[in-house]
Amino acid sequence: MDLGVDLRTELVKAVAATIDRHADELTTLDQAIGDGDHGINMKRGFDAVLADVANLSAKPWPDFLKGVGTMLVMKVGGASGPLYGTLFMALGKDLPTEPGRDDLVRAFRGAIVAVQARGKSERGQKTMLDVLIPVAEALEAGRSEIGAITLAAHAAADATIPMKAVRGRASFLGERSIGHMDPGARSSALMIEAIGKVLEKA
Amino acid sequence: MESVGVVIVSHSPKVAEGAADMVRQMVGEEVPLAWTGGNPSGGLGTDVGQIMSAIDRAWSDAGVVVLVDLGGAETNSEMAIEMLADDRRGKVLICNAPVVEGAVVAATEAAGGSSVDMVRQTAEEYSAR
Amino acid sequence: MNNGTATETAATGAILIEHEVGLHARPSVKLTKLAKTFQSAIRLGTGPAGPWIDAKSIVKVMAFKAAKGSTLHFRAHGGDATQAVAALVDLVRRDFDESHNGG
Repeated sequence: MDLGVDLRTELVKAVAATIDRHADELTTLDQAIGDGDHGINMKRGFDAVLADVANLSAKPWPDFLKGVGTMLVMKVGGASGPLYGTLFMALGKDLPTEPGRDDLVRAFRGAIVAVQARGKSERGQKTMLDVLIPVAEALEAGRSEIGAITLAAHAAADATIPMKAVRGRASFLGERSIGHMDPGARSSALMIEAIGKVLEKA
Repeated sequence: MESVGVVIVSHSPKVAEGAADMVRQMVGEEVPLAWTGGNPSGGLGTDVGQIMSAIDRAWSDAGVVVLVDLGGAETNSEMAIEMLADDRRGKVLICNAPVVEGAVVAATEAAGGSSVDMVRQTAEEYSAR
Repeated sequence: MNNGTATETAATGAILIEHEVGLHARPSVKLTKLAKTFQSAIRLGTGPAGPWIDAKSIVKVMAFKAAKGSTLHFRAHGGDATQAVAALVDLVRRDFDESHNGG
């Protein structure tokens, strides 16, 4: 596949497919410690992105990512909409038209900072940041083996299980949030896995 | 210049509409005013697109203040503001005030021709009283 | 009471509140709106010696809570002080322009 339209198209399809496949699981996780709608919301958002894939993928990387982010903000809703929307919008904001690895790694870190500001949270509070930050660190350390990065993402999601939630709806559960994986951490890890698989084939 | 506009954002459309009714009754028609509440599925919640639309309906070149109830309303309002056009983004301020009383106080201040900063300050003064 | 500036005057006035709910939310709005149309500094108090609050501050006036049957005292200082006090006293006398079925 080319590294432009085709790659963007495959990425959208892969992420939408994994979200779709795991929507019930994400909802179940969210029922334990959240509003109970993470899977439904993410599926709605990514179904909308998938429906518009031809239009979105035709754009260069920065506009593609901003377009995905905007659509996620408008369609995902709940607590995750603004967070994932901000992640993608910020990713696209500072990226050059033909980004190299360094550009992407830098943009990813910038996008994480934007998500931290949006959600007013940081690492260790049982959120998607607990997957995104370790992945950013692995990339910044020069790791490129997709399999290893994917494993790290899933391990990071698992690591949220014993954490106590400090942010969001889960924080109202206090101690009772312990023992459950954070749904946003799970969806982040799934998305990273799906992205990784596409990049391996690209 | 037109008065500063007031936007009311609540998780409940009934609360948002009711607060807007109270503002209209107490302050009158001269302040641009819009409300939004509920999520697109018809449940309690707030929606970024709806908030952007409310800001547009209450738009004034003097600026707009946004009253919010609980956490998600504030996060979604911040998101909505970031997604506004460049020439509008800096003119919209979220107020740290109770949604009903803050809206009445903000609209009263706005009706007197105050700046958007002054309108927010007055709404927040209500919390500090 | 002249501070030596030709345009500076001070004025005072007092009026009994007969409005059913006293200085409640909607009358507070009307009072501050009217006060703001004057450039004088205007203060509101429960007695002739105060304590005084800023009549242009909606938050302070709403918190004032003067009941029906109490007397509102006004003090204004500035070029249009006399007109300001007269207008505000008149607003109270007119029951804040509310019908008895209103707010």
